[in-house]
Amino acid sequence: MDLIQTLLDGLMVGGLYATVAIGVTLVFGIMGILNFAHGQMVMLGAYTAFFVVSAGLGFWPALLIGMVAMGALGLVLERVVFRHTLGDHMQGLTASLGVIMVVENLAAAAFTHDPRTFEPPLPGSFQIVGLTLSSQRMLVLVLVVVLVVACHLFLQKTRIGKAIRAMGQNRTGAALVGIQTTQVTAVVFVLGSAMAGAAGVLYGSLFAITPYMAAAPLMKGFILTVLGGLGSVPGAVLAGFLLGVAESLGSRYLSASFRDGYGFMLLIIALLYFRRGLFGHRGKVRV
Amino acid sequence: MDLRPNLSAARVAAVALGGLMLATSCLAQTIKLGMVNSLTGPHASFDLPASEGVLMAVDEINKRGGVTVKGKKYTLTVDSEDAQSKPEFAVSGAQRLLRDDDIKVIFGIMTRGPGMAAATAIGKSDVLYIGAFTLLDTLLGKPGGELMIRTLNNDATVAKSFVPTSVTELGVKKVGIMLPNEDVSRSIVAVYKPLLEANGVQVPIVEYFQPDTQDFAPVLRKFQNQGLDGMLTGTNDALVEAILRQATELGGLPRKFMYRGGSGAPAIKYSKAVDGFTWQILTRDIDNTSDPKVKAWVERYKAFTKKDVSPNSYWALTFYDSVFMVAKAMEEVGSITDVKAIGAKVKSTKYEGVRTMRFDKDGHAQSDIDLGILKNGKVSSVRAAAS
Repeated sequence: MDLIQTLLDGLMVGGLYATVAIGVTLVFGIMGILNFAHGQMVMLGAYTAFFVVSAGLGFWPALLIGMVAMGALGLVLERVVFRHTLGDHMQGLTASLGVIMVVENLAAAAFTHDPRTFEPPLPGSFQIVGLTLSSQRMLVLVLVVVLVVACHLFLQKTRIGKAIRAMGQNRTGAALVGIQTTQVTAVVFVLGSAMAGAAGVLYGSLFAITPYMAAAPLMKGFILTVLGGLGSVPGAVLAGFLLGVAESLGSRYLSASFRDGYGFMLLIIALLYFRRGLFGHRGKVRV
Repeated sequence: MDLRPNLSAARVAAVALGGLMLATSCLAQTIKLGMVNSLTGPHASFDLPASEGVLMAVDEINKRGGVTVKGKKYTLTVDSEDAQSKPEFAVSGAQRLLRDDDIKVIFGIMTRGPGMAAATAIGKSDVLYIGAFTLLDTLLGKPGGELMIRTLNNDATVAKSFVPTSVTELGVKKVGIMLPNEDVSRSIVAVYKPLLEANGVQVPIVEYFQPDTQDFAPVLRKFQNQGLDGMLTGTNDALVEAILRQATELGGLPRKFMYRGGSGAPAIKYSKAVDGFTWQILTRDIDNTSDPKVKAWVERYKAFTKKDVSPNSYWALTFYDSVFMVAKAMEEVGSITDVKAIGAKVKSTKYEGVRTMRFDKDGHAQSDIDLGILKNGKVSSVRAAAS
């Protein structure tokens, strides 16, 4: 029973990691840059939820507003910053580091360093077949599964999703067959940022919100992007769940002092056997 | 030859010289105290109220007539430097104070980074340093630390009063300890675990977690369904609030907590979900006190600072009583410059101020503390004397 509880805890946290990693891997697949500023969307999404819930509007509007607001911010960043760095990956990387500094310090100045929390919609725990489970954690697990499945369906079944996948495989080829690459790039930023916003809202429903909270999920997001195979959404999702489970099992049955170390061990071991990550494909990125 | 103009000039010169001597004499009748504190930056939340306490004590001493040493009246003045929450500014501030030969006593610094830097600089000089940061205890009584005093109790002294009082107030019998994996946590366990056991409490689980942990579920699962009725945790408000939040959400965990830290804030939000929560107030509880001395001090503090008390205002009592002790020691020793004698007198004196202040021979505080209690949704406090 304890093992199942721990596994469920791991899946829940892993789902959050995966939600962050989807945005990172999508942007990498389309633009070839590791967007470090992605973590700031998680943080701003969490603050958005905090203010919306504090205003009395509740968790569900907060989730919606967090996603929409971060999607809009992602669009602004793409138009104002990242569109101009398309030809130079190093420039894009540097710009994303600059965005982190600006957003993080503005957030610290505006929101202070004090940790914030808001009341989750399902507080407390429940018992089922001998398991004691946190209601909110189970809700978060369900929501991340819904988000991941919805994102997968969007990429697989819609016209724009197919365009994103085509660009991930060959940007020039996609442009040659008539795909509006600038529009698709914008959609990728909006989608990735909205997912990060959702992850932020869900993070905030469980953990403390601070201007510096982005570092941990972002670091995990990058591990997953590499572990899953650069640019691979299914890879990032699978790696997310694997990482969450590894951290939970390691912390529960080995040592909680080494929590972040389990992720890197997993990364090293996986890359020994899967040099391009779990879903990497002959040096090409896959969306 | 007419000498009258020259005589006139001599009279003017004599009057001017007399005036200068009088002015010098008046200036000499002040005792200049040094103070270095982080008045800005992230540590200001501790140091700013602490500096207010020094200024308030000086103001009160001056209003009641100042300090009388060998029949001579002195008023106190304070020369203050801002450490800006940074070690380099703490050092430069301390050095500026040390360059002033009139300053023989320096107060200040609550936090270890700037504190250690300033103390190291001050330790090389013949000046009495009265500080409060935790690591100052490691310098006291050692070469360079003979003229240093810490006004807050160290962990071992706090634990001697905190543990038995918490055990009684919470009624715990079996407690787990959960702390971040840091050096300070090892020393906390070394002090608190034997004390808990000496007070009839079993401690079957001690767990350390990665200090920047956000998700405590896996480590909390280790404490789940173990028959525990309490947990000892720390070491800062943000961590403890996260632990409390997730412990109450996971279920099957103890609902009584002892916090090795100085605030009830982490538990207030969850007052309905926890059965008990105790914390350490290293000076005095100024929010829920029935002590008339503390109540009167709070009113004077509000009048002096022209602001209401905040959750950090109790740090204003860090040095407040010590200023009175230094003034009293100067009077009793009969010197304003013999810092060795003044320091020895302060260390050997028990002073009943707003706090009950006493020190051991090395300058470690042996004061009593207040213990904050949250029980049945209500916040109160009790005085916990070091045994």
